[in-house]
Amino acid sequence: MEIELQEIADFIAAIPPFDRLPGAVINQITRKISIRYLRRGGDLPPDNTKEPLLYILRTGAVSLFSSQERLLGKLGEGDICTFFCMEDEHHHFVVRVDEDTLIYTLSCKTVQTLLAEYPDELAYFHKTASHRLNQTVSEMQLNSSISSTLLQTPIRNIMHTPVITADSSITIREAAQLMAEKRVSSLILLQADKPVGILTDKDIAKRCVATGLTRNTAVSEIMTSTIITVGSHTDAFEAMMKMTRKHIHHLAVIDNGQLNGIISVSDLMQLEGRNSVYITNAIRKAKSIEALEEQSRTLPQLQRQLVQMGVPVNRISEMLTAVSSAITRRLCKLAEEALGDAPVPYAWVAAGSHARREQSGHSDQDNALIIDDRMLPEHQPYFTNLAKFICDGLARCGFVYCPGDVMAINPRWRQTSQVWGDYFHNWITTPSPKALMYCSIFFDLRTIYGDETILQHLRQEMLQLTPKNELFLAHLTHNALKLKPPLGFFRDFVLVHDGKHNDTLDLKHNGLAPIVDLARIYALAEGVEAVSTLERLNSVAGSRALSSNGAENLRDAFEFINTLRMRHQAQQISDGKIPDNYLSPSDISKLERAHLKDAFKVIQTLQSYIESRYRV
Amino acid sequence: MFNFIFGYESQRRRQLKKVAAAPLKQYLATPFPDLKTPIDRVPILALDFETTGLNAKTDHILSIGYVAIDGLAIQLESAHHQIIHTIGDLREESVIVHHITDDKKSRGLPIAEVMPRLLEAMCGRVLLVHYAHIEKGFLRQICQQLYGLAPVLPIIDTLVIARKRLDQRTTLYSPGDLRLFNLRQRHNLPRYRAHNALSDAIATAELFFAELELKKYTTPPPLKSLIQQPWSR
Repeated sequence: MEIELQEIADFIAAIPPFDRLPGAVINQITRKISIRYLRRGGDLPPDNTKEPLLYILRTGAVSLFSSQERLLGKLGEGDICTFFCMEDEHHHFVVRVDEDTLIYTLSCKTVQTLLAEYPDELAYFHKTASHRLNQTVSEMQLNSSISSTLLQTPIRNIMHTPVITADSSITIREAAQLMAEKRVSSLILLQADKPVGILTDKDIAKRCVATGLTRNTAVSEIMTSTIITVGSHTDAFEAMMKMTRKHIHHLAVIDNGQLNGIISVSDLMQLEGRNSVYITNAIRKAKSIEALEEQSRTLPQLQRQLVQMGVPVNRISEMLTAVSSAITRRLCKLAEEALGDAPVPYAWVAAGSHARREQSGHSDQDNALIIDDRMLPEHQPYFTNLAKFICDGLARCGFVYCPGDVMAINPRWRQTSQVWGDYFHNWITTPSPKALMYCSIFFDLRTIYGDETILQHLRQEMLQLTPKNELFLAHLTHNALKLKPPLGFFRDFVLVHDGKHNDTLDLKHNGLAPIVDLARIYALAEGVEAVSTLERLNSVAGSRALSSNGAENLRDAFEFINTLRMRHQAQQISDGKIPDNYLSPSDISKLERAHLKDAFKVIQTLQSYIESRYRV
Repeated sequence: MFNFIFGYESQRRRQLKKVAAAPLKQYLATPFPDLKTPIDRVPILALDFETTGLNAKTDHILSIGYVAIDGLAIQLESAHHQIIHTIGDLREESVIVHHITDDKKSRGLPIAEVMPRLLEAMCGRVLLVHYAHIEKGFLRQICQQLYGLAPVLPIIDTLVIARKRLDQRTTLYSPGDLRLFNLRQRHNLPRYRAHNALSDAIATAELFFAELELKKYTTPPPLKSLIQQPWSR
């Protein structure tokens, strides 16, 4: 071995499965490498490729698309792209070069020969590849079922027309006014009646508000001058793929040079959401708990399908939460049918992730009952039976009983508004470890069924107390900081080793929960009513509690970690496993690992800020 | 007509008639790639010398490294590195720069034993170097000494390519920007241990690829547009 090739050999030796091979084999492999440079925008394999190659990214990045142009993943430095070595499989994929990329290539045949004595390592290539193949197959099945709405809907049926246009010489202020007036999220800008650019609400936020550009600036300064278009006969699915590919949210609909309409990603999402709408409709009509159970069973598949369709994670959570709310509501109705009308008004409230609209699949049930103060002692049995009916029903629908007993069947959490008011008052004024635990559960409440005003009043009372109560906030902070992101001293992941989930990251407790906790503290400190984490972060952005930059970072981190979790769970559902929150770092690409580290760093930073603000 | 007289091929043919020594004769007997060949089909040899100084007459080669490029892909299989055994002690500063000590040097081969293999690798290939002055000067000087003739050397110089590109811009640059290491950094190419003949040869090849891509051509440019004029120094 030329010692001078050692750097390349070292690079190779650090990448699985090569990391398990002896040095001598690594050296042989290194000798067989060709180094190429790929220009951004090109495809793999490069034009003059004569035989199937294995690719190892030295610098740069590439994206993998399915043959249906669905983004399957991204590869970065140190990632391997193996599937051109699989005879039939590469027809299912397109690999696009995102950045100028320095790439090491190896002939697949050479790898086969050199690794002949290492079947396990060789199998690694097959495994990853067949794994991907699996994914494509289930995707294709999906396209025929769930996406049929998208595939069968031509753009002209859902586009907005006429298009709101303006001359490109108007100012940003005028453009914003026009958009508000016409209630649109985008504007096509014209010059001598020819479209020259597009402006969206996001452009204004990003390029004007965020940069401090004056609103008297001409709109042409911040518009996007390349307008991406589709024809009105295109199907909605293709339009969605185009948006995904180009990372945009609006497409202009143009036929024969004529601007006919505009379509946004939310139009498509609405169309796509029909599936969950269909399920919730069926739930509303369910006549028995058995019928509800049956609908509820589709929840994991719905989650998997939405993930594979590339629906943004927040929308998935919302849709899943909508389904469990529908089930709860239907159970309340069925209970009232069985038990008769309630003697006094009440509110069935959800706590935790259900209240925050952040559910993924079947979570544990967290709920409570808040009853009107006019309740009399003889009404007690009615609500006891009501709670039992609903909680048992939820359990049968797959929402297991809360291990911490935070449910309306527990008499403690089935109380009048006044008793609840006292609870909150006590928790806030005399914080104890137990009280703080309850705070983190019961400060996230949402009325699912019944009289919404009961919870509203309670919340307003509570939010008047919290911002002033620094000691309470300090205790809450101290409590929240017990959950830390899994980054060690050397900025590497600290993995779970509990015997059951070895070598994994707990995405929920070490990733999402810390952000949820932070957002709650900010909201309570600022007296903000919002309950879902992203709404809370949006509401407090730029306040005393949290800078807008910090809010944006946390939002990104939350969405990224949540996306990984949803994807992980969707895969488990496909594999027939029970979805959990334990992700093995080796299941994601190196690039995603780097992003994940960044997300954890963001959490660490904001945790340390809040720690110094509220010292106990 | 001009090319016929001064071009690489005509020079090669004329020199071939004069040379007797076998290694150089074989080199000169192999035709060079046609100047119209698209660059992705030109056989190339990326080459780097580590030397005790810039003067080919008074300084010595410490080590050489080279690797072949075919189809714009660096073929590591062809990579070769050789430490040269020179006469006389090494000057201290060059030892520090190149990490080649007297002890290591003594394990090297005399240049006369190394040249035949190098010339064989060069057969039919265009040389790719960063700052051609050194490699060109030393190669010609050594061939003159060993075989009595300084051969014609078709060369692509990445420094010249980069300089042309920087000259076309309006912004100023410093001569230091043209160093291999700095240019590579600009292209986001990985950091290699500098000043090793083979890793520098590979580094030069990668830089060449990156510079080529900056030209944003639709079809690969012909060799002619990249090669040094035969009469340039």
